[in-house]
Order: sequence, then structure tokens, then C-alpha cells
Amino acid sequence: MALIEIDNLSVHFDAGDRIVKAVQDVSLQVAARESYGLVGESGSGKSTILRAICGLAPISGGTVRIGGEPLKTPRGKGFSARVQMVFQDPYSSLHPRHTIDRTLSEPLAIHGVGNTDARVVQALRDVALDPTFRFRFPHQLSGGQRQRVAIARALMLQPEILLLDEPTSALDASVQAETLNLLNRLRAERGLTFLMVSHDLAVIDHMCDRVLVMQHGRAVEELARDDLAAARMTTSYARTLFDASADRMLDGA
Amino acid sequence: MSLLSVKNLRVTFDTEAGRVEAVRGVSFTLGRERLGIVGESGSGKTMTGRSMLRLIRPPGRIEADEMRFDGIDLLRASEREMRALRGPRMAMVMQDPKYSLNPVMKVGRQLTEGLRLRDRLGAGDARKKAIEALQAVQIRDPERVMEAWPHELSGGMGQRVMIAMMLIPNPDLLIADEPTSALDVTVQAEVLKILDDLVKTRGMGLIFISHDLRLVARFCDRVLVMYKGRVVEEVQAGNLMAARHPYTRGLLNCLPRIGGPREPLPSLDRSGTWAEA
Ligand SMILES: Nc1ncnc2c1ncn2[C@@H]1O[C@H](COP(=O)(O)OP(=O)(O)OP(=O)(O)O)[C@@H](O)[C@H]1O
Ligand SMILES: Nc1ncnc2c1ncn2[C@@H]1O[C@H](COP(=O)(O)OP(=O)(O)OP(=O)(O)O)[C@@H](O)[C@H]1O
Ligand SMILES: [Mg+2]
Ligand SMILES: [Mg+2]
Repeated sequence: MALIEIDNLSVHFDAGDRIVKAVQDVSLQVAARESYGLVGESGSGKSTILRAICGLAPISGGTVRIGGEPLKTPRGKGFSARVQMVFQDPYSSLHPRHTIDRTLSEPLAIHGVGNTDARVVQALRDVALDPTFRFRFPHQLSGGQRQRVAIARALMLQPEILLLDEPTSALDASVQAETLNLLNRLRAERGLTFLMVSHDLAVIDHMCDRVLVMQHGRAVEELARDDLAAARMTTSYARTLFDASADRMLDGA
Repeated sequence: MSLLSVKNLRVTFDTEAGRVEAVRGVSFTLGRERLGIVGESGSGKTMTGRSMLRLIRPPGRIEADEMRFDGIDLLRASEREMRALRGPRMAMVMQDPKYSLNPVMKVGRQLTEGLRLRDRLGAGDARKKAIEALQAVQIRDPERVMEAWPHELSGGMGQRVMIAMMLIPNPDLLIADEPTSALDVTVQAEVLKILDDLVKTRGMGLIFISHDLRLVARFCDRVLVMYKGRVVEEVQAGNLMAARHPYTRGLLNCLPRIGGPREPLPSLDRSGTWAEA
């Protein structure tokens, strides 16, 4: 049995006088300890899938199960101890008037976890931020620093499943490398499971065992890592994405 | 004469937790070309860009020996003169586009407001222009997006709406802060083509802030590499892969590759003297 089972998921939004079919009939399975990638066109429904798992987008059709159990609405405390999400848009996911310290320590308080101080400092170190950043507010950080705070917050409760939405898209190559290495190390050490969105196929290839290519709200093609690297895709959209990405791999880099 | 010239720019924040020197003596000039700025997270790229529009909020302070745009002294311009420049002459695509859009105004109204007030277009013409601008940035269903609230946009759609909005008044200088970081490669290519056309055919000056070295190497003419608030290297974009500064070289080594090894990515060796404050 897979840890995350998504069967024929549809997500429809009611936007005034029309319905936006953001996700249509998507199925995927992620095994425990697996790392699964989502790539595809901007607006194709990748973030919406992660948000639906967290209860932040309406499930209009199909089912999502975690560990064999259908999800409860609202998701509740048990869910957040087990599943954490890093949002694509760190600015809107961090409370503007809470210091970084409060942002990182609040989940610990809610779940009754002690040793707050040391954990907060360690979480900042893990994402290569100086502990002095604790006392800043989100607007006093750079874009990539905010993104790293969002990653640190998701790790505070030591979840078993991480939903990662473009976790390194605002990071330069060196900080990206450190962050990806941290995520991979944690996955190995703690047996984590990742469901991860990125528009960068090189990042997906480095991080994921399998990847689903999406377009217009639908699943286009699922590829194992080796098939991605060897360009063994069968749909033209997946090939277009691959060709455009391979084209960007400059010699010597 | 260059479009923009900056000498010894410094941006400082006095916070309760001490002084932060975000930008420490940056100088450059920009013609009608594509200038890339790359560098570490927190190295001062965004603050450099915002300084050009004097959009640094207190307690942040901007100091410079010179900051001149098309003959205008930006250090001495009144707040009123700055407001007249922002938008029609110099525009900035912000790094957090969804945060920079007005959350309580529909996308369509945000796109057409300037056209109606500044260019005095009628509602129908303004709407037509806005829809064209959305189509140009590959928005699939522009009619729907015109009626959408910012929170209903995907990350990459927010970026493209912001780009469309900044380009509508035809600015002479565009500062684009990570404008394509949420776009898949194919949509990204289309958006870059628009920017490229504006530089080549209209002579727009472009400052392109990005952490994506491969992208900058292909797309820009010249590249500034920033580290801890300073420019540590300036190279022709085509030569970026042959850069000499240890920071730039280190960055190139950290990139994952499709089909590359699964072992930990090399991280930057910060033990060199170059990395000291
Ligand atoms: N709350 C909402 N109301 C209406 N439409 C929405 C809402 N949230 C998302 N959408 C729409 O759903 C579609 C899918 O959005 P989603 O954010 O999942 O895309 P994405 O694949 O993550 O794209 P990107 O790579 O650009 O972030 C888009 O057309 C978007 O406008
Ligand atoms: N309001 C503020 N108060 C104090 N420090 C600030 C403030 N705003 C930004 N900084 C600091 O200034 C430095 C430069 O920030 P800037 O946003 O220019 O970085 P950046 O190069 O754009 O980074 P990124 O790639 O992560 O977006 C950062 O270290 C940041 O923490
Ligand atoms: Mg998204
Ligand atoms: Mg920035």
C-alpha cells in the first residue's frame, strides 16, 4: 500500500459565474520513503494538488488517502504532525507581524514540544540562516531567506511527509545545493516521504524517484527517474519540456 | 550617455538588532541592454533594484555618490518627481508578485487603471489592451484572469500578470526581480522573448535579477555577480561559465544536472579570503 494515494482527484473552483477546473481526474501513488515530483505548465494544477491534500482547496471528485485512511475535514492536529507543506509563496504563508522566532516556535507550543530555544536555533542553522534572524519580521528578509524560514518551519514538527512547492525556486545555486542536500539527508535519516513541485527538471531529477508531468489540470505522463534522464518520454508535451530543459544545460556547468 | 548610472550605492538598515548593510558600494552603468545581476540569497540584489526607484522603506537608507537616470538626478528628485517616473518611465517586477498586487482589486482593474487614468483610454479599449498584454505572456484564459482576484492565480500566473502590468506603459527601464522563477521552461522562453524584443526594438534598458546562472548566461549581455552587498565580478554573459571569481566558479559547481549523480551536491567552499566580510 502506498503512503499517499490519490485516486481520480478533481478540484474545481467556483469563480463568480464560471467554474475553474484546476485539477481533473489525476491519480498518483507515493510509496513510503519515496520522493515523487510534479512538473508541468504554469497554471496546470500542481500547487492545487498539494493544497487539496492539506485541505486548502476543495476536493470536488476522487479521493486522497494517507496511510490507507481517507482524510478528515478539517485535517486536525494529527495531520499537521504528520504532513507539512512548504508553500510556493513564502511571503503570504508567513504571518507578517510575527517574528521568525514566533513563526518557528508556535507549532512546537501547539503540539506541546519542549526545548523550543535550541530547536529554533538548530532549524535556522539547518537552512543556513544565522540565529540572529530569529528576531526579524518577514519583511526584513530577502526572498530566499523567507523561503528558507518556510522550509525550517515545515521541519519543526519532524513530519513524516513533506509537500514541497518549488522549495528552492528563490534560492541561488549554493543555497539551493545546501537545502537540497539537507532535504535528502533528512529523508535518508528519518525515512521521510516527499511530494515535490519544481519547474526545474534538473532539481526534480536530482531529488525524485518518479515524476508526473502535468498540463491543463491533467496528468500527461509519469516517468521513472531513469526514463527522464534518458529522455524516454512518450508524450510530446513531456518531450518539449525535456528538450527545452536539456537545452539550458550549458557545457561545463 | 548611459540610461542609468550608479556610483557607490549603499543601503543600510538600522534595526533594533543592529545595523544591516544590505548594499555596500555598488557601481554600474546601464545602456539600452540586458544587464544581469546574480548572487547569493541575501546579497543585496533586490535592495539594489528597489533603490533605483527609491522604494526602500524606512528605517532603510539609500546613499550614493551618484544615481542618475536619463539625465535625472534620482538622489535629488522630489517624491513627486519620483512618482511620475515610476510606472511610465521606470518599472520594477517585484520578486513576490502576488504580494505586490493589490489583494482586494481584481486583476483586470489593476491592469486597466493606468491606461484609463494616465492614457485616458475608454473602458473598452483599456480592456482590449490588457487582454492583449495577458495573451502576450501566455495566459491561457485572459478573460477569466481579468475577473480573478490575485489569490486565485497560480505562482507563475502572478509573475506573468505582474510583467504584463509593468510593460503596459512602455517603460524605458525595467527592473525585473526574479521575473521567471516560477515559470516552466517553455512559458519562460516566451516571456523572455518579449523582454528581448523590447530591448532590441524599443531600446528599453533591462536589469534582470536572477539566481539562475544558466538563464542569465544565455539571456543577458553583461552580468554583475554580487556577494554580501558588493559586486565581486562583472563579466560578459557569454563568458559567465569561464568566470574567475571563486564565488562565481563555486556557484557553477553546485548546480544539479539531469542525469547527474545522486550524491550530495557540491556546496560552496566559503573558507577562502574572498568570503570574508
Ligand atoms: N482559489 C482559486 N480560485 C479560482 N481559481 C484558482 C484558485 N486557485 C487556483 N486557481 C486556478 O487553478 C489553476 C491551477 O493553479 P495552480 O496554482 O495549481 O497551478 P500551478 O501548476 O501550481 O502553476 P504555477 O507553476 O504557475 O505555480 C490556475 O488556473 C489558477 O488560476
Ligand atoms: N527591512 C530590513 N531590515 C533589515 N535587513 C533587511 C531588510 N530588508 C532586507 N534586509 C537584509 O538585506 C540583505 C539584502 O537583501 P536583498 O533582499 O537585497 O537580498 P537578495 O540578494 O535580493 O536575496 P534573495 O536572492 O534571497 O532575494 C539581506 O541580508 C536581508 O536580510
Ligand atoms: Mg504553483
Ligand atoms: Mg531578492
